[in-house]
Amino acid sequence: MKKNIIGRLTQSLLFASSVGLTVCQLDAAELKLLGTNMPSLDFHGFVSQGFMVTSEYNYLADNTKSGSFEFFEAGLNVSMNPLPRTHITAQGFMYDVGDSGNYQPFLDYASIEYTFSDYIGVRGGRIRKPSGIYNHIQDVDLARTYVLLPQGIYDARWRDFTTSVDGGEFFGNIPLSKAGDLSYEVYAGFLNIATDSGVANFINNRLMGGYVTSFDPATEVGSQIWWNTPINGLRFGAAFGYAFNFNYDFREPTGAPPPFASSISLRAKSSLPVQQYSAEYLWKNWTFQAEYYNVQVSQDTTSPFGTTHSFVPQEAWYGGAAYRFNKWLEAGGYYTEFYTGAPATVSSDSSQKDAALSFRFDPTDWWIIKVEGHVIRGTALLQDNASNPIRNDDAWFMLAVKTTFSF
Amino acid sequence: MKSFLPKLGLLAAFLIIGAFSAMALDGAIVIANPNVAADSLTADALKDIYTAKTKYWANGQPIIIVLLPGKTDAALQQASGMDGSQFKTFWQRLTFSGRGSEPKKADDTAALVALVASTKGAIALMPLDAALTGVKEITIQ
Repeated sequence: MKKNIIGRLTQSLLFASSVGLTVCQLDAAELKLLGTNMPSLDFHGFVSQGFMVTSEYNYLADNTKSGSFEFFEAGLNVSMNPLPRTHITAQGFMYDVGDSGNYQPFLDYASIEYTFSDYIGVRGGRIRKPSGIYNHIQDVDLARTYVLLPQGIYDARWRDFTTSVDGGEFFGNIPLSKAGDLSYEVYAGFLNIATDSGVANFINNRLMGGYVTSFDPATEVGSQIWWNTPINGLRFGAAFGYAFNFNYDFREPTGAPPPFASSISLRAKSSLPVQQYSAEYLWKNWTFQAEYYNVQVSQDTTSPFGTTHSFVPQEAWYGGAAYRFNKWLEAGGYYTEFYTGAPATVSSDSSQKDAALSFRFDPTDWWIIKVEGHVIRGTALLQDNASNPIRNDDAWFMLAVKTTFSF
Repeated sequence: MKSFLPKLGLLAAFLIIGAFSAMALDGAIVIANPNVAADSLTADALKDIYTAKTKYWANGQPIIIVLLPGKTDAALQQASGMDGSQFKTFWQRLTFSGRGSEPKKADDTAALVALVASTKGAIALMPLDAALTGVKEITIQ
């Protein structure tokens, strides 16, 4: 019931956003509430539509071999400063990436923050989770060069799991005199994961006929620290996160004939420690970036026959550079690798290497177009087993095109 | 020794003058809404404002940055350490992650001055040849 109300409210906000984009002027809107003495509301929004086509496998959506438009994002953001040092903001969002999202609107974040000083502030509500350069903005197409971020770190299908928590955080900036300054965010909160989310799709896909029936609300704590060095534009970051009680119930088919049960109920209990290290350098018209990501999935699965333990490490890294030629053209590329499972067992099915080249065009302030090519080797991130029954270690290709309107 | 003392005095004079002289932005000055309590800022404090490390004036009023795209780009790079494109991306990231409010934009100098004059807490980089009408200049040290 609560989800329905929030969904309808968000749907209304997004509908208003679409109307705003098409009917009103394409510029940031500002409304004054009930006269000039009330604080103003700032509205911003975006709508993105992408297209993906692949040469060998269906990737991110189940029909990319024949070309897929299942790649959509829209958000409406509103913010205000009602009192001194106080900021309130909220964003409604909907997306579609293959089987994930499915245009269902939801409240992406809604928070109130109070800044005591530059050194410390507090933010509470549904907040964006800071992790690395892009986690808190991974759905904001206009704020980056690329169509697809390195998927081993920023999986477009997992955003409902990775981007927000219901809780709070402390944030601030500490000057280090001639050594630059240190900015930090320390957060704690709950993850609410739905059984039709991208995470659930990922688990269902691995269960080979089984399916997730419910998730517990998981608790997560974490932090992001950035050292902004004295060298202008150069910063280094470290992020740590720990999700407790990432627990879920699921059913698996037994394959037994009647009168025996056709499926059994199982429970998985996991903890997810995440670490991510980042480096970014803005130099003249160049942007250089590199990141490393590591998560150790430790899981106990309990069935009527006992408990089994599994441990799956995953790691990914990328390095990339982008160059802005002028106001309307930017080009960039990155190389990334992703591995899942023990290093000794690396195969094309447990790794994925991706070299991407991207062109971004900004015809106007409010409209961008991106064209991006990928050469990929390995299939670890395909996930869609039913759509990709046969795999090999040959290189395969992907073309992604995306356009975004914003105000 | 005699020749050393004048040189030392000259060096000290340069340092003192350097410490207290205004920082020159390329083709622009810093203006603010008249109700902003500050009359001067250090270059570091200005950079903290343009990089969102400082989001409120000392009295708690939110700082509203107003931009004049294409007219004060060089000064913006000096103030923020970012070129126009990087600056825009930086603030879009803050805005769409709930961590800040994107700067406002003006189409021309007259609109910039009018917007700063009518917006409490506003700060902007204004071309040198424009008139200070309803706004005040902030000295950068």
